[in-house]
Amino acid sequence: MRIRSQLLIVGLSTLVLPWAGCQYARELETTLRASQEQSLLASAGTIANALSAEPDRVFRDPADAAPFDARRGDLYVFPLARTPLLDGYREDWDIARDPVPAAAVNGPPLRLQVGVTDRYLYLYADVADPHFEPEPGAVQPDRDRFDHVDLVLEQADGERDTYFFATAAQGLSAAQTWNLGADGVRRLGVEPRIQGFWLQTTTGYHLEARVPLSLVGKRLGIRAVDGADLANHADPTKTADSADPRDPAASRGPDTIATGRLFFAPRGLDERLATFVRTGTRATVIDRNGLKFGTAGTLDPEVDESQSPDLSRAWFRRLMAVDNRALPERSPAPDRLDGAHVDAALAGRAGAAWLRTGRRDLLLLAAAAPIVVEGRPRGAVILEQAGDQLVGLRDRALTRLFNSTLLAMAVAMTFVFGFATWLGLRIGRLQEGADSAIGADGHIRLEMPESASADELGALSRSFERLLARLNEHTQYLRTLGGKLSHELRTPLTIVRSSLDNLESGDLREDQRIFLRRAREGSVRLQSILSALGAAARVEESIKHAERTHFDLRELLAAAIAGYRGGFPRSRFEASLPADPCPFRGAPDLIVQMLDKLVENAVDYCPPDGVISVTLVRAGGEFEISVVNDGPSIPDELLGRLFESLIEQRTGADDRPHFGLGLYIARLIAEFHAGTVTAANREAATGALFAVRLPVI
Amino acid sequence: MIPGVKKQIAIVEDEPALRENYAAALARHGYQVKTYANRVLAMRAFQLRLPDLAIIDIALEDEAEGGFDLCRDLRARSAEVPIVILTARDSEIDAVSGLRLGADDFLTKDVSLPHLAARVAALFRRIDALRRPSETGEIIRRGALALDTEKMQTTWNGVPVVLSLTEFWIVHALARNPGHVKNRQQLMDAANVVLDDDTITSHVKRVRRKFQALDPTFDAIQTVYGMGYRWVE
Repeated sequence: MRIRSQLLIVGLSTLVLPWAGCQYARELETTLRASQEQSLLASAGTIANALSAEPDRVFRDPADAAPFDARRGDLYVFPLARTPLLDGYREDWDIARDPVPAAAVNGPPLRLQVGVTDRYLYLYADVADPHFEPEPGAVQPDRDRFDHVDLVLEQADGERDTYFFATAAQGLSAAQTWNLGADGVRRLGVEPRIQGFWLQTTTGYHLEARVPLSLVGKRLGIRAVDGADLANHADPTKTADSADPRDPAASRGPDTIATGRLFFAPRGLDERLATFVRTGTRATVIDRNGLKFGTAGTLDPEVDESQSPDLSRAWFRRLMAVDNRALPERSPAPDRLDGAHVDAALAGRAGAAWLRTGRRDLLLLAAAAPIVVEGRPRGAVILEQAGDQLVGLRDRALTRLFNSTLLAMAVAMTFVFGFATWLGLRIGRLQEGADSAIGADGHIRLEMPESASADELGALSRSFERLLARLNEHTQYLRTLGGKLSHELRTPLTIVRSSLDNLESGDLREDQRIFLRRAREGSVRLQSILSALGAAARVEESIKHAERTHFDLRELLAAAIAGYRGGFPRSRFEASLPADPCPFRGAPDLIVQMLDKLVENAVDYCPPDGVISVTLVRAGGEFEISVVNDGPSIPDELLGRLFESLIEQRTGADDRPHFGLGLYIARLIAEFHAGTVTAANREAATGALFAVRLPVI
Repeated sequence: MIPGVKKQIAIVEDEPALRENYAAALARHGYQVKTYANRVLAMRAFQLRLPDLAIIDIALEDEAEGGFDLCRDLRARSAEVPIVILTARDSEIDAVSGLRLGADDFLTKDVSLPHLAARVAALFRRIDALRRPSETGEIIRRGALALDTEKMQTTWNGVPVVLSLTEFWIVHALARNPGHVKNRQQLMDAANVVLDDDTITSHVKRVRRKFQALDPTFDAIQTVYGMGYRWVE
């Protein structure tokens, strides 16, 4: 991995900053929530206390603590914000709750909802009775069978007023009732104060009715009667006690209709409550059953919602916000509240809870405080407040935090990246310097980049320089060792040889001459070794004094190859030269000397029947002279080092000493002509290929 | 020179064993040999009496080029005394030659004693020939070139060319059979020296330069690459 990437990863550790920031923001949010809870609880407690002092305004009948039981027909009377139109539709009631099934009675299923305005009680009944039996013109209740809805209004003193709704055709009609006349005859009468709208539907009919509050007591009973069921018709007005219990129709007497309690929100509670609440807070008073008796204030979550959700907020909110998914959802019921905080308050303890509301996962803080009347909790005040204020607060803090940390991070990362790049560049330069310190020609460049720097890289560079200087000294020593050795050994060798010369001129026995000859042979060999050792130095010397002339490389090669054919009669030479002259500027003697070395080398390794081919081609801006010979291949490990001075060479065909100077000399000459010499193995067969490339000058 | 009197050869060489070996070999050939270890001793002796021939090593004890100075001083005292410069390295021949010290020959210490003796004899022969101006020896003429094999003198268009003994023999070997290619070994044999190929090359180069100094159009010595050299008229 590159240093840049490594440092970048290290730089990523600055991510811990926003993380810490998030932790802090979360902490902040938790604290804020707690304080909001406390403050809301305090408000709820205050309101509850105030309301406890005036139970008459909170409860219609403070003494009545009967529980709400929907199965027994108890009904919650929804406060209606607007006066609905009697049209058989309840959409204008603005109640988000469907009608509930009325208490189980025989007859078609009936679903009921009750609402109240200042003056009227509104009833809405949805009856599943697909077959419509209209009310005949002059109704004979004792005989006629027709669909109708019975309504019982029970006053506080137990007196029951019964009415029924029936119609010949859908539309508005008044309720009818049986009046017991002074003559003891029941007559059908019309109660014009009670109006109903009968709307026929595919599955049955809707009845939307309006009853003046003055007629409404504490309880209400309702049932639908299907005219088709009245086959064995009994007098619908018969009382329950006279009815035959076996007669199913007997149970249809209006007196048998069970009534349920009506749970009204007390009048004026909303206004009273409104005096307590601040904007953004919604106060709800519930009774023991959790039924809403009064509400005031709005949550005003629309304000927050109307703000276009800031994208940056959105993403980190998702990332960091306190996890709200586990929170309970706020009860969507329009008529009642529930939840742990409500239960606690109804048990007499104040409680708060964080709730989610359905639509946008808005947070809601709800605080409930019990309304205690005569030492017993009779209801509760629930204060609700949008939690979004907090979120907004937190988001602002987070945004600021994020902006600053992101900026800091960007700056830090830029610095880290820049620094890493710079460092990488410097190390790269150092590496390049180290790579190229020893050139292809074996010369050592002593200067390293970065050596002036004061830091560790500079120190490393300087160490490299010292190392290179030492290496250079050593290389120089090795380079000149041959020449020095040759020079130093020459004088003693000359002494030996001149002594042998003198010895030879004297009178010697035959056996002494044998030794003398051996000594001479040894000295000759020694001399040739020394001569070879000094050859490189001599060539370097002669290169210094070489003169460049213009000549034809092709002609020179042709002459030289002709010479080799005479000089090495045991080898076969093949020449491939271009058709045109090849004008070249250089030192012809040196070129021939270089060729000599390459050809000598080729001859050394070429088997007796092998072929040595010399080729000259002009390729682009350079001449390429190649000498290819049959014979063994060059070991790979030697290929790159063949042209160095004094490299131990391959085993030659003869026993002559090989010091690798021939190819070194070839290299010196090639380099003198700004060219290169390379060695390779032939691809098609074994054998070596030496190529000299000389730029055309 | 009085016949019967031994010719005196001065050897100036700081290496005692070598000095004595040379002295013994030359003495065997009938010369009187005086040996000197350094320039001062030699110069002092030369002031008393000039030798008939001097063999001088370049490096003398602590004087790296003491031989050069000695050679120059000796030539200043006598224009005739043949001087042979001995060098430890072939490459030094270039330097010596460049100094135009007036030496008659340059030899590497590789030279064998018989070769050295032959060379000394040749130099004495030349001295003798020069002292007998009336006698004309064999003269080889090749165009503008004239080689006096007796006096070992060379002229080009009648102008003398100052060649060392080795150079003279190389030119002689080439010019005797014009057109014939002489390889390096043949040239070495002719010059009675054992030299490296490179040194032969530089000798030839030097010879060319000496002729070209007199005649810039000189082109008589041709290189036959891979084989050797030949004289073309």
